[in-house]
Amino acid sequence: MFNKKNENFEKADTIIGQAIKVKGNFNGHGNVIVEGIIEGNLKTSGSVVINDKAKIFANVDAKSAKIGGEINGNVKITNHLQIMSSAKIVGDIECSSISIEQGAIINGKCVMASEQKHVTHNTEHN
Amino acid sequence: MYIYIYDEYVNHKKYEHLLGQIETRITDLGLNGKIVRLGIMKSIQDSVSTEIRNGAKTIIAVGNDKTINQTVHSIINFQKSHNTKTEIFFGIIPVGEKNNLIAKALGIKEWKEACEILSGRRVETIDIGQANDNYFLAQAEICGQGTMLKINKHYSIEITEPGKIHIINLSLYPNNLPHNTKSSPQDGILELYIQTKKHSLIKFNSQINQSFFSFQKLTIFNKHTSLLVDNSINMPAPININVLKKRLNIIVGKKRKF
Repeated sequence: MFNKKNENFEKADTIIGQAIKVKGNFNGHGNVIVEGIIEGNLKTSGSVVINDKAKIFANVDAKSAKIGGEINGNVKITNHLQIMSSAKIVGDIECSSISIEQGAIINGKCVMASEQKHVTHNTEHN
Repeated sequence: MYIYIYDEYVNHKKYEHLLGQIETRITDLGLNGKIVRLGIMKSIQDSVSTEIRNGAKTIIAVGNDKTINQTVHSIINFQKSHNTKTEIFFGIIPVGEKNNLIAKALGIKEWKEACEILSGRRVETIDIGQANDNYFLAQAEICGQGTMLKINKHYSIEITEPGKIHIINLSLYPNNLPHNTKSSPQDGILELYIQTKKHSLIKFNSQINQSFFSFQKLTIFNKHTSLLVDNSINMPAPININVLKKRLNIIVGKKRKF
């Protein structure tokens, strides 16, 4: 049953299971799967999957994300953000591309980073 | 020079024949060396320290998980207290059926295979876990109920259902870990694996939940239960756990689980 749930990643570096409550700021470097509760910021250089029973009471910052749970905080995603029908987000969203399933609840601003801005940003780094 | 550390229990008469077979085989393979028999008057720490001082380069634990834990502890403790990184190679010959999970995880199923593996001398350098003043090679376990964990001093973890917490350097049960996670004693980090069980009113319908974290420093708090280290030593909480990177040269089998 568990393995089916985690088909999202080839490799998961952190799994916060259903019976787990994390208090404090979580800073990771890889892919994160959340099924439990986080009371603090979630930041990772990898991707995040927030399952339908998960609850996050702070900001989420990641490369890409698939959200099916509840977030009370801002969501900042560098690449693609996928919002599932079970998701409930109370906070602002910032991402490059987005897909939202019917039934999702979003209360907040949504800002899309323009393609032009990304090109300029990459050029500066090169 | 090879030093064979015989645990106290292997001196029992029932292992006499087996030890004879082991000694014959290691002589045939040209691996013979000094045998140190542990007993009430001979502690493992003193024996290992004396032998390293006398120039021992390869130390072989002959016994079970406890023998392995205590020998590794003595080697690391000697190196730390003398501030030296003398190159020591560590090997294992498992004796007895029970409590030999560490040897199995290193690809050493039984004594005959162990002798061949010592002869083959495939060496891997691995990390070692430190729990307060004790060192562990494989993993540590504690009951989840009433346990609070603090990781890297940044965040804490509370467990809301009954279950078990495993702190892993070398996994003794790699097949139990979630399929898309990875644990290795050569990655410079330790893994925290939590398995909880949510009981259902319907029999046989309980749900198992798994959690998985990586860390370098962890503190365990539990007033009622102790931590079982390397399937052999019990330690009371609070316990600070950290990793010593690339600390032990160990002779392993081809079928090791990392």
